[in-house]
Amino acid sequence: MSGNDSGAAPAAQRGRALGDARKLEILARAEPAGLKKAAEALLVSLGDVEVLASRTGLALLPREDTVTGTLFHLGEVMVAEAHVRLASGTEGYGAIVGRDLERAMAMAVIDAAIADDRAPAAIFAFLAGEDDRQAAEDAARLTRVEATRVEMEAF
Amino acid sequence: MAYAATRGGEEAIEQAERLYREDLAPLTAERVAEVRRTMPYLVDRVMGEASLYEPDLAALALVQTGGDLYEAVLLLRAYRTTQPRLWIAEAVRHADILTVRRISAAFKDIPGGQILGPTLDYSHRLLKVGVLDGEPDTVAPVTPSETPAPATQPALADWQREKGLIEDARAEAVPLEEIPDVTRDGLLFPAPRAHRLQTLARGDTGGMLALGYANMRGYGPTHPTVNDLRLGEAEVRLRHPRGTVFSAGRVRVSEAEMVSKASEGGKLQLGFCATFGWNEVKTIAGATLDLSMHFENDYPAASEEFVLYHTEPTEASGFCIHFKMPHYVTFQSSLDALRDANAKREAHPATAPETPETPDAPAPAPELEEMPS
Repeated sequence: MSGNDSGAAPAAQRGRALGDARKLEILARAEPAGLKKAAEALLVSLGDVEVLASRTGLALLPREDTVTGTLFHLGEVMVAEAHVRLASGTEGYGAIVGRDLERAMAMAVIDAAIADDRAPAAIFAFLAGEDDRQAAEDAARLTRVEATRVEMEAF
Repeated sequence: MAYAATRGGEEAIEQAERLYREDLAPLTAERVAEVRRTMPYLVDRVMGEASLYEPDLAALALVQTGGDLYEAVLLLRAYRTTQPRLWIAEAVRHADILTVRRISAAFKDIPGGQILGPTLDYSHRLLKVGVLDGEPDTVAPVTPSETPAPATQPALADWQREKGLIEDARAEAVPLEEIPDVTRDGLLFPAPRAHRLQTLARGDTGGMLALGYANMRGYGPTHPTVNDLRLGEAEVRLRHPRGTVFSAGRVRVSEAEMVSKASEGGKLQLGFCATFGWNEVKTIAGATLDLSMHFENDYPAASEEFVLYHTEPTEASGFCIHFKMPHYVTFQSSLDALRDANAKREAHPATAPETPETPDAPAPAPELEEMPS
């Protein structure tokens, strides 16, 4: 076992333990180049992948009015969607805000591999690493936001 | 209304478009990326008015039109119609929004505190002319706090509801697929609140500001103050085919609640507006309009029909510029009528209609609020 493998094992365990929704969210927000690279590495072992959908479309985004609780449509968000099926019949799905069809396809391929129980440890380590990166990104941003907190005084 | 065909204009039209585009730099992906990176508030404004969230497309629309906002909104609205509507995302609720700015001008000690976030509110606004002389303008990086701000903030309205300051009435729950959609239903009055808020969300910033400002100055029934102003990012949560709901990414949103200084029935009245992108002027003006439209009144700028019909950017700008199109037939008809009336007056001066009386003097303006000097 290489040094990298011994370091990746706990990360892979953490990645594997993530819930389904969290895994999908991490993939949707993953750094694009790393996501695509991870998916390309998987394709070699997955065999034939049937593409059921690869397209952009719109998601209506409802918002709740904080005054009365009325739901209304804020507008539509462009989303890239990919839907694939493996030879085993297992399907994978990706949907990412924006227009990047390659990102959505990479997400769908990884989702299919996980659903088919054929994702190697490297994929789960990637998920854990992205989880950490995204959490750190949010935390760093919020420490900068906190720096703008004010105490208002009335004179 | 009748139009005349333009004969032999094809070549002229082609040359006119070339002349227009000659004034713009070549349309390249690099320029689009630069606009997206350096002008996020402009991109936000266009996305909000277009009711389509896609920053690359909005930046492209801006570059392609040379920064003509109404043309850019028109391009995006048109592009939107080419895309299938595939999802209705889960509803965004206040507690879900990653909040980077949150202030109240009415209450200083609000739950969660006041966070200025990215703003120039208390900064000097001076043009950095030195940049034109080659002096780069750089800004020192933010000194982060030791602890992060909470990712989300409580709604001030919820606190006010708990304290009995505002009505406790809440709208009935509606399935996502039954939320009224003004882009499919059309606008009828009195409008469902969902139509009103959606129309404001996609409204013209300048038009909403003009009418909101009219209300603030006295041509409206309210004296508004910012109750809660927020900038943040909302998750777009979609449903996976196997049923899992997950976030496909975040979009920038802004929203404002405005509160009336005058109470009604012992309760404060609030107005609300939210939109795509970070656009505080629009949401403050929009929430003011929502608040004003709550009250029965005779002010056009606080009439739901007047406000919602005249703040639709594509309809308003389109109707305005359509007057450039040839109206020769209708105008010729008016000219014929004018000549006919003049001819009759000359032929029969005694029976010609008298000059119309001067219309009644306009009513005195209501007491106005002045800008502080």
